[in-house]
Amino acid sequence: MQLFWQDLVNGILVGGIFAVVALGFSLVWGIMNIINLAHGSFVMLGAYTAYVLFSTWNVDPFLSIPVAFVLLFVFGYCVQRFVINFVVRAPILTTFLLTFGLSLLIVNFALLVFHGDVKGITTQYSGSNFSIGSVTIAWVKLWTLLVALVITALMQLWLTRSKTGRAIRAMAMDIDAAQLSGVRVAHLYAVVFGLGAGLAGAAGVLVSLSYSLQPSMGDPFVITAFVVCVLGGLGSVQGALVGGLIFGVLEAFGSQYIGTGLQDAVALVVLLIVLILRPRGLLGKAGA
Amino acid sequence: MRPGRALGALGGITGNANALRVTVAILILMVFVPMLHSGYYENLGRGVLMFATLSLGWNLIGGYTGYVSFGNVVFFGLGSYTTAALWQHWHQQSIVLAVICAMVVGVAFALVLGMPILRLRGHYFGIATLGIALATQEIVSNVDWLGAGSGFTVRPVDAYSTYYYAMWIVCAASMLATYLIARSKLGYAFVAIRENEEAAAVLGVDPTRYKVIAWAISAAMAAAAGAVFAGANGFIDPPTAFALDNNVFPIVMVILGGVGTVAGPLVGALILTAINETLWSHFPQIHTLFFGAVIVVVVVFLPRGILWLFNTRGGWKGVAGSLGAYRV
Amino acid sequence: MSGEAFLSIENVAMHFGGLHALDDVSFEVERGSVLGLIGPNGSGKTTLMNIVSGVFKPTYGSVRFNGKRIADVPTYAVCRLGIARTFQVVKPFANLTVRENVAVGAMYGRNGGRRSANASFERAQELLEIVGLARVADRHASDLTIPDRKRLEVAKALALDPEVLLLDEVMAGLNATEVDEALDLLRTVNGRGVTLIVVEHLMKAIVSISTTIVVLAEGKKIAQGAPAEVLASPRVIEAYLGTRYANRQRQREAQP
Repeated sequence: MQLFWQDLVNGILVGGIFAVVALGFSLVWGIMNIINLAHGSFVMLGAYTAYVLFSTWNVDPFLSIPVAFVLLFVFGYCVQRFVINFVVRAPILTTFLLTFGLSLLIVNFALLVFHGDVKGITTQYSGSNFSIGSVTIAWVKLWTLLVALVITALMQLWLTRSKTGRAIRAMAMDIDAAQLSGVRVAHLYAVVFGLGAGLAGAAGVLVSLSYSLQPSMGDPFVITAFVVCVLGGLGSVQGALVGGLIFGVLEAFGSQYIGTGLQDAVALVVLLIVLILRPRGLLGKAGA
Repeated sequence: MRPGRALGALGGITGNANALRVTVAILILMVFVPMLHSGYYENLGRGVLMFATLSLGWNLIGGYTGYVSFGNVVFFGLGSYTTAALWQHWHQQSIVLAVICAMVVGVAFALVLGMPILRLRGHYFGIATLGIALATQEIVSNVDWLGAGSGFTVRPVDAYSTYYYAMWIVCAASMLATYLIARSKLGYAFVAIRENEEAAAVLGVDPTRYKVIAWAISAAMAAAAGAVFAGANGFIDPPTAFALDNNVFPIVMVILGGVGTVAGPLVGALILTAINETLWSHFPQIHTLFFGAVIVVVVVFLPRGILWLFNTRGGWKGVAGSLGAYRV
Repeated sequence: MSGEAFLSIENVAMHFGGLHALDDVSFEVERGSVLGLIGPNGSGKTTLMNIVSGVFKPTYGSVRFNGKRIADVPTYAVCRLGIARTFQVVKPFANLTVRENVAVGAMYGRNGGRRSANASFERAQELLEIVGLARVADRHASDLTIPDRKRLEVAKALALDPEVLLLDEVMAGLNATEVDEALDLLRTVNGRGVTLIVVEHLMKAIVSISTTIVVLAEGKKIAQGAPAEVLASPRVIEAYLGTRYANRQRQREAQP
């Protein structure tokens, strides 16, 4: 029974990261109708940003979060504005393949620069934890969850309150109407994509705190993000949060009872079940 | 007067007729490669044939039917493992048996998984197939009967060139099948789904049924290629069987050669293999990097394949036009 | 006349939650006739079309075709019922030629099972001649003009060998000459034995082609009959032009 609670807690803790990853993915998918297969590589870049800052200047990873966010935002903005934009309204195959190609480019570039060996970040507080009853909680994971929640909340606020945020939501509803009202769609599209990348980068930093780094580490996150979006519904911040938490818990239980190393299989089964039973997602509309 | 099959500018759904004739000629010439008595060229040629088969398979579901699969490597892997299992557990070396069993396994897998996931639209199918490929690799790594993480050796048939000819037959059969399908009612069902799935349904085409059929045929092709590969390679383990290259390259090859044509896959396989070989010898480190760049360039500038450039409706003006059409 | 009606709509109601799109609509369609379905925007015409073609299942009531109930039918099975439909937003198979577009219908429509690919192309050519598209048979569908695209829609629907053809606002976007040509085409189609149900906003067109007209307003049937009598009906005028106009009209008629 104790294992149950431990798994549950672990699942929730990691679910926060999934939520942030999924949020960026969901924004891009929901607003621009692009399924960004390079999203995982953005997560990876965020993680390596933290690694570089930590190993070179001993910057605490939590402080790297804004840095990674900004760096990835700019990167994502440029990628969208100068590359993806050419095919942003094309059929799915085109954008799928384009982002897939970008992903290959990015991952292999990282492979060249950072080499394939596994790296990690170990801070002073990495190993410390506390206990509630028979459940052990690592401080790092708890902080990670809190940061994730903060990021999610900030995103929600920004989208609903800020001028740009509202313009983006208008654009999502009707791109032609928005364009006619003077909304600079090309710029906003790039902003949205940049946000998606920035969020992925921030999530990457969070990942680097508890997991090891490798250029290919981002791949499973695309599947995760997709499953979370399907679970939680597209285009909603709450959906990404709830979906992320649920998925984290499912994975934790899956690892426990089916075996580690089968995370992808668990993700896939969850995805299939949800798609078959409720194609609209548990909370909202799961996209076209 | 019998109205001919409409051969519009793109050559109907079989593709440009001249390109097809040239490609078939090249295919026939490739039969003679083993007679060069060069291990290097035989391996290279076998590789081209293997990739061409994988591309032909992908072309059916991705090109003709418009459902992008990011996981067709799973059928290749299952086919490879069929050969490996046949040898390890039943001491069967026969290539023919391996290919047939592999196709059965591949088709069964596609039918079982296809029914649920092909019910949905393109987006979901794409990622679901990616998930399937990753998940299957994981599962196989954990199953002892299939050699788990360390894999199996496969004792090759003594006459090594047999594998070359086997791969040639698999490739030629796949190309013939594609040609026949493209000219038949089945081919039109696929294309109708790609062009407008709802309109196709209105005209009586059951989308799920035909999507599954397309995927199953592509599975059979990939599995057959995998079955032959395993014997030729002599060794199969999860990373080899489910290699990312075998998943991605076929897609790029088809796009480069021309999506939804009969000749496209082989053309793309030839061009990209040639480029790959050149790169390998000069810049071994960056060849996957290069492929990422190729995908990006091809998708943005040449979405209809290289033959589009030589087409009256296409040409450089067509490229410029398509650049403008999709941007914001 | 045989006992069973050809196509009968019986007490059909369609409720989407609290919204009553259709309420207690009943009428019969005679084989070989042309039924015009008119009504102001939002009166439920498209919903009714969806129900007759089996896409929606009515909340109450039923549609009987040749004696059999049309229930919840998946889209691809609709044509096997003998019912075909054109859509307001035409979406042809852009990368196929005009002939290939129609051939798909001939291959998979009601009689498709018995047709080979070659026979389907021959049938497509026949239909293209009937609708007047033979001259562009080898052009890509994406190259057609709007009136030609509409002809293509009709040809594709005919390829399904339907007994009943539902035409949803097929005249939209056509100029006066094109409308006349379209009407001629519809008359030809009807002359070949296909029963037509035409949804249209263009009064002149509906009047000139329909044998019977059914008028819907706010989900209810408010009139049915021959064109002239339906259009003179005060209820219909009121539905379209408003109560004030109807009152003024009555006053005018009351004056000596």
